[in-house]
Amino acid sequence: MIANFLIGLREGLEATIMVSILVAFLVKTGRRDRLGAVRWGVAVAVALPVAIAVALAVAAKALTFEAQELLGGTLSIVAVAFVTWMVFWMRRAGRSLASHLTDKMRAAVGVSAFAVGLTAFLAVGREGLETVFFVYAAGQATGQTWQPLVGAVLGLAVAVVLGWALYRQTVKLDLRRFFTWTGAALVVVAGGVLAYGVHDLQEAGVLPGLHSLAFDVSAQVPPSSWYGELLKGVLNFSPATTWAQAIAWTAYVVPVLALYLRPQRRPAAPAASSSEAPRLRAVRSDAHAA
Amino acid sequence: MPSRARALVVLPLASLAALSLSSCGALVDAPSSSSSAAASAGASDAAAASVAINASDSACQVAKTDLPGGVTTFSITNTGSQVTEVYVYDGDRIVTEKENIGPGTSYDLTVDLTEGKYQVACKPGMVGDGIRQAIAVTGGTSQLTAAEQTAVDAYRSYVQQQADATVPLVQQLRDAIASGDRAKAQSLYAPSRVGWESVEPVAESFGDLDPRMDVREADLEAGQQFTGWHRLEKALWTGEDLATVVPVADQLLADVKELSQRVPNAAITPTSIGNGAKELLDEVATGKITGEEEAFSHTDLVDFKGNVDGAQKAFEVLTPVVQANDPKLVTELTTQFAAVQAALAPYADAEVPGGYVSYDTVTADQRRELARVVDALSEPLSQLGAAAAGQA
Repeated sequence: MIANFLIGLREGLEATIMVSILVAFLVKTGRRDRLGAVRWGVAVAVALPVAIAVALAVAAKALTFEAQELLGGTLSIVAVAFVTWMVFWMRRAGRSLASHLTDKMRAAVGVSAFAVGLTAFLAVGREGLETVFFVYAAGQATGQTWQPLVGAVLGLAVAVVLGWALYRQTVKLDLRRFFTWTGAALVVVAGGVLAYGVHDLQEAGVLPGLHSLAFDVSAQVPPSSWYGELLKGVLNFSPATTWAQAIAWTAYVVPVLALYLRPQRRPAAPAASSSEAPRLRAVRSDAHAA
Repeated sequence: MPSRARALVVLPLASLAALSLSSCGALVDAPSSSSSAAASAGASDAAAASVAINASDSACQVAKTDLPGGVTTFSITNTGSQVTEVYVYDGDRIVTEKENIGPGTSYDLTVDLTEGKYQVACKPGMVGDGIRQAIAVTGGTSQLTAAEQTAVDAYRSYVQQQADATVPLVQQLRDAIASGDRAKAQSLYAPSRVGWESVEPVAESFGDLDPRMDVREADLEAGQQFTGWHRLEKALWTGEDLATVVPVADQLLADVKELSQRVPNAAITPTSIGNGAKELLDEVATGKITGEEEAFSHTDLVDFKGNVDGAQKAFEVLTPVVQANDPKLVTELTTQFAAVQAALAPYADAEVPGGYVSYDTVTADQRRELARVVDALSEPLSQLGAAAAGQA
């Protein structure tokens, strides 16, 4: 039961972390009008894999292993592209902080509902089919033992609660710290998703080098341990990492993080001394109401 | 930005859409509910291969390590306490895998294996090289081209259609026999066989069904029970008490239902379709022309028509494949099939059950003429299997 709980938790965290930050970002920048798009994106990301799984079952067909890995891998990499774009979109909003003008910031977040919904869809849906199959297998065992299903569902539920807690924590941060930390965290998370996608494509045989490992710490961080599952769920860390994964992760995280954290060139703002860092209380109380 | 975003979205959504198309190579036939029934029938069945894998914390038990080529379903059960993964390796290459198999859960992993040596690896705890078990796959299909796959899919759906259509007809036959209505049962007999006659080679590939369903009294082997259609035929036309053959009719009905359930797992290749067409024509030559098949009912021409239609369908689905390898064969077969159908046409009689006149009204000269056109078709048809395999 613990093992099934941990898988559910991990699959859930993979989806909820990005969505939590996305929602917190929209709330903090006063773009609550875009939350509907997030809801749609998540709803479609949940419904579509279920529909595909049902359709396959009805047609007595199964996705080939390559197709499954290709789908998971491609969607992961596309998700990274969108999250990266979102990170820089956050950075631009952060730059507008100097002006103390939320209106201007809101304008900086001039982003279509479609793009927001799509980002949410990709964050949740990239591993959707895998999760559906996992929960289905757990449900099928219910004849003999109810433990797998309870474990899986509890794991998913805890992931959702943790995602909500993360959201509550991040909306409490002041804006400057919010942008710095959540942006940087997203870059690291996205790096993990990218490496994960690369691994999927290696398994599908699209990319070579599945068996050349950069490092293998499986003995120290067993993937089935609770901390192994958490590291996988949050950072997509795989204890046995291939060279291609390691290179992709480094080539993504290092430059993107550097670009994201590079000093903002602000037009000699009215000496926005850090002591009077804008707290934007109006936005914050907004968030609490969420 | 948003416009660029819209262009990007096409990629994942298109790939999802592509996956929902059953014709693309991203899909394999999944286990149907019948596969376990077929396995329990104890058949030495090349097609309905479901192989249990018991993956525990310390063992990886594969129920069968010598497998036929084609689609195999591994029924994995994690009986251990750790999360496990099951891989099928061809050397270093992953042929297929299933990750995240939680303790106490089961998963069916379907894979199309070609001839060769493979390793099944269970990875309790999801680490390392896993517990390995070598398996060997012999015979079966090589990788099919798109055209070949289309032909196989089209033929399978034809066989399925014929098998499905046979079930209600045999049901009616069985009911007529059970109610003692001899005249009605006689009229239903020949039509109930047409579907079977058109797809017999596939049914024969299951091994155990054909001897139960279609054995002729003259061909019985020592110790073999006389059952199936011809047992019913004998009872119907010799005045035997029909009550004695109701169990035979019940068994036949159960068998045709089983046949229709097993079609999704039948081993069908372009070669087997082509060779099957030739076998059907041989059936015509050795059974129908001679009048041996339906010794009591004389409905041989109905079977004849079923055999020829089945062979012609096999030829039609293979035509796009064979056209590339041997266009002359396609022309020749088209002509000869038309000649056989034309030779058969004069005997059609819509008034008679089954649609063809009783064979005892066909004269010796007429039978010789039928034999001649069948032979003329049989010769080029014998090349169809090889041509479909690209060995023309």
